Amino acid sequence: MAGSTTDAEALARRLLREDHPAYAPWRGRCRFRKAIAAVGLPAYRTEAWRHTNLGPWLREIAAHRQGPAKAATGPAVLAPPDASIADLANPEARELAAEHLASTVDLARQPLAAVNALLLEAGVVVAVPPGKHGEAVRVGALAGRFQHVLVVVAAGADVALVEEAGGYLHRFVEVVVGAGARVAHFRRQQAAEARQCSLLGVKVEERGCYALAQSSRGALLRRNDIEVALAAGAEANLAGAWRLDGRDHLDNQVAVRHLAPGAKSRQTYRGVAGGHARAALVGRIHVAPGADGTDAALSTRNLLASSTATAFAKPELTIHASDVRCAHGATVGALDEAAVFYLRSRGIGDAVAREVLVRGFLREAIADPAGQALLGIAA
Amino acid sequence: MSLLAVSGLHVEAAGRPILAGLDLSVAAGEVHAVMGPNGAGKSTLAHVLAGRPGFDVTAGAMTVAGADLAARSPEERSRLGLFLAFQQPVEIPGVSNMEFLKAAADAHAKHQAQEAPSAVDFIRRARQVAADLGLDAEFLKRGVNEGFSGGEKKRNEILQMLLLDPKVAVLDETDSGLDIDALKVVADGINAFRGPSNAVLLVTHYQRLLNYVVPDRVHVLAGGRIVRSGDRSLALELEAKGYGWLDD
Repeated sequence: MAGSTTDAEALARRLLREDHPAYAPWRGRCRFRKAIAAVGLPAYRTEAWRHTNLGPWLREIAAHRQGPAKAATGPAVLAPPDASIADLANPEARELAAEHLASTVDLARQPLAAVNALLLEAGVVVAVPPGKHGEAVRVGALAGRFQHVLVVVAAGADVALVEEAGGYLHRFVEVVVGAGARVAHFRRQQAAEARQCSLLGVKVEERGCYALAQSSRGALLRRNDIEVALAAGAEANLAGAWRLDGRDHLDNQVAVRHLAPGAKSRQTYRGVAGGHARAALVGRIHVAPGADGTDAALSTRNLLASSTATAFAKPELTIHASDVRCAHGATVGALDEAAVFYLRSRGIGDAVAREVLVRGFLREAIADPAGQALLGIAA
Repeated sequence: MSLLAVSGLHVEAAGRPILAGLDLSVAAGEVHAVMGPNGAGKSTLAHVLAGRPGFDVTAGAMTVAGADLAARSPEERSRLGLFLAFQQPVEIPGVSNMEFLKAAADAHAKHQAQEAPSAVDFIRRARQVAADLGLDAEFLKRGVNEGFSGGEKKRNEILQMLLLDPKVAVLDETDSGLDIDALKVVADGINAFRGPSNAVLLVTHYQRLLNYVVPDRVHVLAGGRIVRSGDRSLALELEAKGYGWLDD
């Protein structure tokens, strides 16, 4: 797409050259600048960015100076009573941040993490102590276009993480799941006439368990990068469902890295695209050398609700260990007309029958009631 | 009065003739059986009545309670009071049996300009009917036909028939794949349904079901037409002699 490379170059030059108003300046900028200098910014049609042209998003960044960010419209971040919340700019956030900030992803693979760091306007660090927490960590509307949320969950803790509001150009969420801890992450992405990129980095320590239920409506541009790293005996259950229409664009890029023996991962994705919408899901499973006894599975199924919608579904497996179980399946298709007829033969009208089938299809991935409501698939 | 009437029905699929001038009439209160060899067009008849896409009706007429089916969609035919029990019901993961049954009941209520049954009343009734068919309440929470055994699928069809209470029920090979106990349960369901204000058409290859659901008339479908009709003894004769003698 014309212009995108130029946009990226211009922004990269600016990020390398300019000093922006300092937000939490103690974080340092050097390693982020180095990362951008080394790998550049995402370029359309490169393998990792073949489904998303970041040009318009980059232009949006370039168009506004680092003026005051718009005010937040709701509570920014809430946490259980005994958890701690600190603004990244405050000194009390510093110790945890120094240990974990931008630690869950490789900057060479995720250059937008570096962009986020250099343009950051809002940051929050949440520390969740051990024990089972009745209340969830809630991430709402933060006052900034570039946001970073770090959630550090102590060994043995059990907590839910609910992420709802949009209103960002880029949001970087990092979750560190301590040994034996359990985190249930509910992520609800509302329909938006906006361009939003997000990066989710998750590190699951030994025997920890992380579950993600992500429900997405479309946007002008929505790109979700997800990286999950599993230590020995850790477990990840990732589920995603999306429902797109009009000219929606959604690009999900997921990588689950089995770094040590005996970890288990499940990925289940269901998507429906109508209108002229475009959906992509690339689900990667990496099994590192020595990660024997890995048990991984990925299933992605897509329904096209119109002849002008497109869906791309691709599992990618990289296996460097032995005694590994990896199952994967990907389909793109239309509704089963035999099922439509079955419902119609019971008096259910054609449009309702199709809607019932779409709901059932998406519910295969999302059991979260609020996520179901967002997708319009509640029973 | 004929609740189901078919006259001079010609049907093609992909240009190939399947039904060639079929006549059939089932009066209120009657149970008729349509038997015939494989490939005779029995299932086609059942599906064409229900309005399945993919078949071309090139001549003839079909009516339910006097209403012409030809220009009506499958859902309209159902709302008129026609029910097809499928030989191979479709599995629909993610949609609970109860949600499906309620959607169907609501569609029928809306057509009859009635208020939809309340969820509580409907669930109570569905559970009762399911229990009568030897199905526990959990069965209603499972995905439609998802992972059901052959017998459960057939019982689920009978459950739908009993809940929707059609004027005309067409049962396509409902006895296939059933063991003798399941066959009795299904037959009990059909016998509970049959009454003076409805009609039943049993499409079957074997006469086994007819030991339990005794038909008023038996028709033999071969070569796309009804070639012989008689009382129940015709079914026994077919079982003894096979279908070959009909050619003589």
